[in-house]
Amino acid sequence: MFVLSTAGERRLQRLLYAAGFCGALFFLLAPVIFMLLTALSQRPDFLGNNYVMTTRHFREILTTPSLHFVRYCINSLAISIASAGITTIIASGGAYVATRFPFKGRTAVLLMILSLSMFPQICIAGYLYRIIAAAGMVNTWLGLILPYIAWIMPLTFWILISYFSQIPQELDRAAFIDGCSPLRTLVTIVFPLAAPGLFSTLLLAFIFTFNEFMFALILTNDHAARTVPVGIALFQGLHGELPWGVIMAASVITTLPVILMALLFQRHIMQGLTRGAIKG
Amino acid sequence: MKRLTVTDISKSYRLTDRTVAALAGVSLTVEPEEFFILLGPSGCGKSTLLNSIAGLELPDSGEIRLDSKVLFSAAERRVLSPRERNIAMVFQSYALYPHMTVAQNIAFPLKIRRIDKVEIRRRVEAGATMLQIGNVLAAKPAELSGGQRQRVAIARALVREPELFLLDEPLSNLDAQLRSVTRNHLKVLQNRLGITTVYVTHDQVEAMTLGDRIAVMRNGKIEQIGTPDELCQQPVNAFVASFIGTPPMNLLPVTAEIDDRSARLHVADRVVTCSSGNVRPLGTQGSRRGYLGIRPEHLHLCTADYPDSLAATVTGYERIGRETIVFATWEGNVITLIADATTHPSVGEKIYISFSAESLFCFIDDAISPE
Repeated sequence: MFVLSTAGERRLQRLLYAAGFCGALFFLLAPVIFMLLTALSQRPDFLGNNYVMTTRHFREILTTPSLHFVRYCINSLAISIASAGITTIIASGGAYVATRFPFKGRTAVLLMILSLSMFPQICIAGYLYRIIAAAGMVNTWLGLILPYIAWIMPLTFWILISYFSQIPQELDRAAFIDGCSPLRTLVTIVFPLAAPGLFSTLLLAFIFTFNEFMFALILTNDHAARTVPVGIALFQGLHGELPWGVIMAASVITTLPVILMALLFQRHIMQGLTRGAIKG
Repeated sequence: MKRLTVTDISKSYRLTDRTVAALAGVSLTVEPEEFFILLGPSGCGKSTLLNSIAGLELPDSGEIRLDSKVLFSAAERRVLSPRERNIAMVFQSYALYPHMTVAQNIAFPLKIRRIDKVEIRRRVEAGATMLQIGNVLAAKPAELSGGQRQRVAIARALVREPELFLLDEPLSNLDAQLRSVTRNHLKVLQNRLGITTVYVTHDQVEAMTLGDRIAVMRNGKIEQIGTPDELCQQPVNAFVASFIGTPPMNLLPVTAEIDDRSARLHVADRVVTCSSGNVRPLGTQGSRRGYLGIRPEHLHLCTADYPDSLAATVTGYERIGRETIVFATWEGNVITLIADATTHPSVGEKIYISFSAESLFCFIDDAISPE
């Protein structure tokens, strides 16, 4: 049996919804607001009644050479773009084979790759450093790009598998009949059809590597290869104090592109994540 | 035009717990310009055979030739990839490339073969005209109706002037009316182009109307190859007899006493006699168990005093316009017969059925359970 709610009850319902929504929104946005306020404050250590706004910290971080912030940004972009790009290319080849050519132990291989993505990063941190050090790649771009490729490969691979398995295999067969080799089929038929999937995979891989902290912390020493997250964490003032204004300004500058990208392509990203989650 | 020769092709799939034979020693020859049908229930191996001819699947043993060109030979350890075979194929789902326009779809196999642009355009236009899709060349497949997609798929297959034309249940996604129109169109087209054609279907009406010859398949084997008339009038066993013809042939369990000239069939309390030429397998002798087969169109309604008539009880009927299909039971056996449209039976009514001995078949096969 249903009891129809009265107009008054319905108004109360809507009010409670709105209140709950605002509460959740505040909870989520408070740190961002705090970050913005601190970055724009004349006296970032004493956020209080006499708030004075300034863009000083932003100017400082972009123009002071000793902070190396611009260099960090360049490192981050280059490393993330390279890692995401290379990973997506390799993973798409693997996903094509995994979805198209049945081989013995296919499921075992797929599950092993999945289990790799469950590995806590910290477990391999120490040994990873020794390997990269032995290869002489500590504090270089390549020294971060290679671990990043390995690190995000399982995720991109699984997302692409779910995209590729949705492309009907009869299209591949038609392409073979029409005279294509497997590679040509991949490039002329599968890639164009999986373009949205490839794009969202690329995007996710970029965001993951752009935000990565631990490997970057261990494998870099200075601005030659240090990425933005590590750079920000290690900012120090002249006398060892924490320059909150500068830190927050840097955070704002690096968060904005990611937020914008997420908003702009949110549908692709959501699809990519949920597909990876559910499997194909 | 080319002759297709398939010799002793076998293919089995390994599942986790057992091995399934999809094809068990299939041999057939498709004559040049022939419209050849592979007919059978789903899972009989007909699509596996078609894919083996196309090069999409690798048989375990046997040989496939197109004239003297060896497409596959297990003995010589030779196999040509699909693109080395110059065989065109139309898929059940049409398999049009969704990101290309109709014109690009049709041009695709030509482009892959690096044919000159002017020539490509000429052939695409000719193909589009032939299949009446000239007005949708700029559209994407998603914008087309089912029938149009079907014709684009056929155009794509035909523009490259293939040596062999394969179709895998191409009409099964169309509605009934369009199916019959397209069927006609396909027959005319094949006739005009004269391309040797192999067509897979589970629909015996399609097979009978399209095929020059039909191979009826079951469980990876060919049961019978023949013209539509041969299959209809001289089925080799109860399976072929019941698979060809709508409604299917009536099969009644009998014990038979067979000698050189005739077979005496004991069914319920009756004995009917048919010529030993209608016993399958031919040459069977002695006292055997089997089935009496008679087609619904060879049973007739008659009056009670008609000699040797069967008194049956109506259990249902279907009126399909020019005729009425009557379902009845006689001595525990279900009997189907075709009566003319003026017949208005009522359920439970007693009817009398007559038949002539010439139209009787006797199938000796303990293993067969008619469906």
